[in-house]
Amino acid sequence: MKKKYDVVIIGGGVQGLSLAYNLARSGLHRVAVLEKSYIGSGASGRNGEMIRSAFASEEWIRLFNKSLRIWETLSGELDFNVMFTRHGYLILASTSEEMAACQNNIKRQNELGIGTRLVDAEEVINLIPALNRQVVTGGIFQSDGGFARHDAVVWAYARAARRLKVDICPFTEVIDIVVKSGKVLGVKTTQGDIETRTVVNAAGAYARRVAGMVGVELPLEIYRLEMIVTEPLKPFLRVALSSPHMMGYMHQTTRGEFAGGAKPENLSPYTGLKSTLVAAQDMARKFVLLFPGLYGARLMRQWAGVVSKTPDRGPLLGAVEEVEGYILSAGWGGYGFMGSPAGGKLMAELIINGEAPAEIRPFSPKRFKTGELITESTIIGLAEINVQ
Amino acid sequence: MSKKIVCYCQDLTEVDLIRAIEEGYDHIETLKRFTGAFMGPCQGKMCAANVLKLFAHKTGQSIENLRVPTMRPPVEPIPLGWLATGIDRGKDEEEI
Repeated sequence: MKKKYDVVIIGGGVQGLSLAYNLARSGLHRVAVLEKSYIGSGASGRNGEMIRSAFASEEWIRLFNKSLRIWETLSGELDFNVMFTRHGYLILASTSEEMAACQNNIKRQNELGIGTRLVDAEEVINLIPALNRQVVTGGIFQSDGGFARHDAVVWAYARAARRLKVDICPFTEVIDIVVKSGKVLGVKTTQGDIETRTVVNAAGAYARRVAGMVGVELPLEIYRLEMIVTEPLKPFLRVALSSPHMMGYMHQTTRGEFAGGAKPENLSPYTGLKSTLVAAQDMARKFVLLFPGLYGARLMRQWAGVVSKTPDRGPLLGAVEEVEGYILSAGWGGYGFMGSPAGGKLMAELIINGEAPAEIRPFSPKRFKTGELITESTIIGLAEINVQ
Repeated sequence: MSKKIVCYCQDLTEVDLIRAIEEGYDHIETLKRFTGAFMGPCQGKMCAANVLKLFAHKTGQSIENLRVPTMRPPVEPIPLGWLATGIDRGKDEEEI
């Protein structure tokens, strides 16, 4: 760690690391990433690994399709196999109402050039023969979606950034941010002080706390998710699958493990990282209902992760008005992993050019003051229960 | 060099672990994620002693002071069906 940097990024998760890499690639090498634990220790290494751009709103579709295009060549670009598996992403409809929503969403997706198609129950069963027919009405299939290995993405961005002279500092916690006359001047950390004019808050679940250091109140709440993984099984699920009906998402890893998460109906206000039995039972019920063959599959491990979410569930991307040099890449709310290739690239453009690229302009933090909120209806687990 | 297996679930050898540490996966949590040690069906019960000993030696730390990767539930892998229904249907097949 040096005494002075052009940009200091708080948070060594996929978003912060992708941003650091993209800044360095654009010629800005005096960049530091500060991480209070090991890199990827937060939601970046705890998420469902799923990747799609099949959303309902133009804003989400444009942003995440930009990301999907980068995912396609990311392993080559970073010289590290992130195991992007483009086997497709299916959004399952289990009721006629959900099917009607799919019909509605596919129109906009196709207008924007997203390669999705409406599938009926028969086609869903052809894609995933192991599914319980009783919960299948149809769905939307995005053939170029899929999943990637989350930890590998963290390491790939970190290594690529280091090769471009970025300083990545694990076990370096930010204690305070120095602001004078409304301008960022530096950062105080557990490893010493740093001088900088630009700080990026990419602190995931802890973004609100980090914003408090400059006296800015962000519309963020901690949102807690749990996941499980089974012992390795014979291949039975090629695609990434989400079920809005069960507020769940799942895929089978390249090692054969079935990995998935779901949101229980009754979320406790707890925001820590311990697993709960209620969530394990809820996930087991849902996954066995979807795949009766999973009855005998052994649950190997359960874990939790925390993210922060905004009232409209979209991320906060851009500068805050109150403090010069304070920039946000926060509130990704469970979509930070799939959005990391575009998030880092576009935020780097914003920092270097001083102007937000078109894909992230709608996600400006200002929208919560002007009221121009984004309506996105395909967020898994949207049926809201307030946490925190 | 002969192959010394240290993790039976993922077939990890001593050399695999040493190379991983040399590559920079030198925190026990990142070593776990990179190699898959502690992440197989035994969840570390068989490999922990081997892996921690090797890790401590290679990184010059004393084994007593090492952080052990977070242990996650369940203690023993159990069928999803038991959790889903609360019925222990598998018990007649296997004594636990």
